[in-house]
Amino acid sequence: MDTLHLILNGFGVALTPINIWYTFLGVFMGTIIGVLPGIGPAAGIGLLIPITFGMDPTSALIMMAGIYYGAMYGGSTTSILINTPGEAASVMTCIDGYQMAKNGRAGAALAVSAIGSFIAGTVGVLALTLLSLPLAAFALKFGPAEYFCLMIFAMAAVSSLTGKSVAKGILSTLLGLMIATIGIDLQSGQPRYTMGVPELQDGVGFIVAVVGLFAIGEVFSSTEEYLKGKIQFIRIKGKLWLTREEWRRSVMPIVRGSIIGFVKGVLPGAGATISTIMSYTIEKRISKHPEEFGHGAIEGVAGPEAANNAATCGAMVPLLTLGVPGSGATAVLMGAFIMYGIQPGPLLFEKRPDLVWGLVDSMYLGNVMCLILNLPLIGIFVRILYIPIGVLLPLILAICAIGVYSINGNTLEMFMALGFGIMGYVFRKIDIPLAPLILALVLGGIMEQSFRQAMTISGADPIVFVKSTICVVLLVAAVVLLLAPMLFAKVRELRSAPDDET
Amino acid sequence: MLVDRIIFVCIIVLAAVYFYATAQIPTLEIGDPLGPKAFPRLLGIGLLITAALLFFEMRKAAKEARPAEAQPHDGDLSHLWVIGGVAVWTAIYYLAFDPIGYIISTAVYLLGLTAYFHRGKWVANVLTSVLFAIGSYVLFVKVFGVMLAQGMIKF
Repeated sequence: MDTLHLILNGFGVALTPINIWYTFLGVFMGTIIGVLPGIGPAAGIGLLIPITFGMDPTSALIMMAGIYYGAMYGGSTTSILINTPGEAASVMTCIDGYQMAKNGRAGAALAVSAIGSFIAGTVGVLALTLLSLPLAAFALKFGPAEYFCLMIFAMAAVSSLTGKSVAKGILSTLLGLMIATIGIDLQSGQPRYTMGVPELQDGVGFIVAVVGLFAIGEVFSSTEEYLKGKIQFIRIKGKLWLTREEWRRSVMPIVRGSIIGFVKGVLPGAGATISTIMSYTIEKRISKHPEEFGHGAIEGVAGPEAANNAATCGAMVPLLTLGVPGSGATAVLMGAFIMYGIQPGPLLFEKRPDLVWGLVDSMYLGNVMCLILNLPLIGIFVRILYIPIGVLLPLILAICAIGVYSINGNTLEMFMALGFGIMGYVFRKIDIPLAPLILALVLGGIMEQSFRQAMTISGADPIVFVKSTICVVLLVAAVVLLLAPMLFAKVRELRSAPDDET
Repeated sequence: MLVDRIIFVCIIVLAAVYFYATAQIPTLEIGDPLGPKAFPRLLGIGLLITAALLFFEMRKAAKEARPAEAQPHDGDLSHLWVIGGVAVWTAIYYLAFDPIGYIISTAVYLLGLTAYFHRGKWVANVLTSVLFAIGSYVLFVKVFGVMLAQGMIKF
């Protein structure tokens, strides 16, 4: 009863006029960020954090979360109309969404992704509501050693699952952790790796890294694509609604996509993009007409679009209950929490139930707003795509400058962001994933702190990290995740070996 | 793959530099059994293990890729010059940001970029650059209360 009371109380917070306004502002900007090619939710949140300074943290976080799930709605529009994902998790929507648009069914494709996203988003928030409290209660058992192991697990999962090579994934994580060690060590007061630069004493700001890697770097990559070829834009034709047949074909993919997306979202590393690939593959495999996939099958839009929205809700579970995000975008959200002086995790449910439930409950409302923005009002956002890419990309670079400068009024940080931008561009080219770096950068400080606390408690005996069952399970899972790709490859090799000999 | 070999060498060099820099951190070690060096040392060891792992992956890839050695290589690298140019132009913009101020530097920066990427549309480019610079300044500074460089124009 008490729980229900807390949840209802959250609606009281979410439904105050000011928070309704910030929910709207968040999903509105999220939809724009989703529609804009070359800028995703991670960069969007990073860029907009400075304008929330001075705001009430609950309202600010409601808005940030709105940007996150709003971007998932907007991303599909770009995939369908210009065959370029508005953000990474909309990649799969390009395949059949763009074909549907070419076949004159752009309206239906946009409608099914908005409706699918709404259903999945709402189911996802419901699951988030139900799962949060038991998980947060369980997480209260965690001490510093368990937290350290949990972070190792999260980082191992992200390293192993986001790129093509495990070594490069781990490299990205280690780079993030190393960048996090720059600055004054909070426990000993000693400066580390600051090279005498006073601005580095506070460490490398995560917004600087996020804007550099995910916005400036992405603009460089988009510039390259723009220079290499032309992006073709398809105008919306037909009604923004589905035929009876299209409805019939979409329902089950939406249901399956919601489940896959939520589960994948909860697990660290898997995230929204992988859930869409999984949903697409499953829909194609069980379809009676697999040959239609790739030529405008509506199931190929409905499933993945539901999956990426459910995954955003799923990804909020570990962030809120454990304080350990499992993806790049939630890592940025976590960074925002920390900037407002709020530590997400099990204690937050006890200390600030109004904030947690206000945030979760605002997502119900936000999903309704997203549906309205992305169905009857989608025409407004589509106009963004009329802006020539040659104008859009420079504008994004200018917005990056505002975002970074407005944190501390420091031009050195702008140069650092540019450095991160070049790094992000190069890393994309050489297949080093970026999400592990940002996750490690945000978690690095807390991770080192838990490591040192655990070691202090144990009198510098590392056995503390294998003493509890939770630690052992997490560490074994981390090792399995890291070795899995290699083991799979070995098994495949052994299987194919006899064929080669014949 | 040549790229992976370069990454391999970079990791080794980075690990060496990081170990050296870690050794330079002064320590007092009071009440903290580990001190500020222990965690970075672990990261350094992690880097070396990663290098070994990458080496292993490279050997495996080399074995698999041998029959199809001739990789398709797109010889046109002119876009790299353009991106390099954008990076340099952006750096100049950042240098001018504080002394000249947001509005003028941004308008000039945007004009430069749109002149190249949106060629020939002078009227549209000038209008976009100037209106964006002024509009965004008003929005961020006056509405959102965000700090931006004032420079020569103060309002």
